[in-house]
Amino acid sequence: MAAEPMVKLEAIRKSFGQLEVLKGVDIEIAKGEVVCVLGPSGSGKSTLLRCVNLLEPPEEGDIFIEGNDICKGPGSGSGEQSWRLDFVRQRVGIVFQQFNLFPHKTALENVTLAQEKVLGRSRQEAREKATELLERVGLGDKVDQYPERLSGGQQQRVAIARALAMDPQVMLFDEVTSALDPELVKEVLDTMRELAEEGMTMIVVTHELGFAGEVADRVIFMDGGVIVEEGPPAEVLENPREDRTKQFLGLVLDR
Amino acid sequence: MSEFFHQYFDFHYMGEHFWEVLEAFLQNLLIFAVVAVLALTWGLILALLRQLPGKKFMPVRFFTIGYIDLFRAIPILIVILLISGGIPFLEFIPKDIRIPHWLGKPDPFWYGVAALMLVYGAFTAEVYRAGIEAVPGGQMEAARSLGMSHWQAMRHVVVPQAVTLIPAPMLNEMISLLKDSTLVSVIAFAESVLISRELLAQSFNSSALMLTGAFFILIILPLARVVDRLIARNQGRITRGSHIEVA
Repeated sequence: MAAEPMVKLEAIRKSFGQLEVLKGVDIEIAKGEVVCVLGPSGSGKSTLLRCVNLLEPPEEGDIFIEGNDICKGPGSGSGEQSWRLDFVRQRVGIVFQQFNLFPHKTALENVTLAQEKVLGRSRQEAREKATELLERVGLGDKVDQYPERLSGGQQQRVAIARALAMDPQVMLFDEVTSALDPELVKEVLDTMRELAEEGMTMIVVTHELGFAGEVADRVIFMDGGVIVEEGPPAEVLENPREDRTKQFLGLVLDR
Repeated sequence: MSEFFHQYFDFHYMGEHFWEVLEAFLQNLLIFAVVAVLALTWGLILALLRQLPGKKFMPVRFFTIGYIDLFRAIPILIVILLISGGIPFLEFIPKDIRIPHWLGKPDPFWYGVAALMLVYGAFTAEVYRAGIEAVPGGQMEAARSLGMSHWQAMRHVVVPQAVTLIPAPMLNEMISLLKDSTLVSVIAFAESVLISRELLAQSFNSSALMLTGAFFILIILPLARVVDRLIARNQGRITRGSHIEVA
């Protein structure tokens, strides 16, 4: 019997007003697995990712992190709810398309802030951790720079270091290379690749088919708020079963 | 024509009462300084209460919005008169509070301060709110995703960015507040307009009022230029990415 899945989504539904964005999504992700989620815009893939850390709490369904239901805990009081938020946010890190670095803080301070305020680490401890992480993403010489002075690719790597500083069990990547100039995409993907090799559990929403093919253990293709097809990258990307997947891959590869 | 000049610009009369008027004007500056500190604090509290998320805080948001709407709509003069003409008679309030003589200042001073604070708290809250709402939503999301509470995110991420966006509109509020400090004259606090009016009543000469006006202009005109510069600086910040040099 396999161990408890790291992340398990059960029948997730989410609407924005009249528009139903997720129409019942089930996914299980094992510890250390790298899953890439592909799909056209509007397919619900970003919303799905934002459900996992409760930035957009789903209306129906359950999300389990290490076996703990973060949608319906044992109680439903507000204290209970904030406990679940803390539980999720300390285990799940997210990196955004637009980086969302704090512009009034240096690269180092971006990485130390939540360590000190949330985890209660000492300034010294947080700085050491941040320096180590910034070196790891190749920005050891940029620690005192403000985001404004960094390229998009560098900003995104700071954002990755910032998320990693919280010692997450799972990392979510929401189209993290979509806002980057083409020549800056590689440095960010390389950082993610290293992270995957180190055994991080990752859910990656992306349009980078090359990355998906090379790094993912599993590829999920979504459209219209449901999972259309999933499987090993070689199958889904090379020999898709569903017409909708074939059509999408055709359009993306045609560029 | 010389009659007109004599009525408004009697420099001899101005000179005679210069120190008296200046001293009264310092009272306006004092009211301004005290209210500015209180209103900037109260306004920030109101703005933060208004931004509290979730269903649980709906009553708080509702109350805050109601407060801000009300005190922006009601004339300040009415608030001053309601406070000075009512609070002293509420006997359930301890005497030291309903008729305050703190720090050697008479009760009309404090009634004026209270009224101006209540009203300007509402106005500054709106300026803070504009600043807070101008910070991209991704900042709050990023902070919350790192595990920070709403308050932590506000305190360390959103508000520090918001306050860099609002100096120009806030300074406009402060200019307006300095001028409105003269309204406290209606409840017999001896600030510059009250003193000048007394002089006008004695001599039927308007020069003391003109002198008072000159003091305000002298203080406020440079501030208006500061506002211009702050706006230009913000414009520069916005266009910086597009290689337009703002010399």
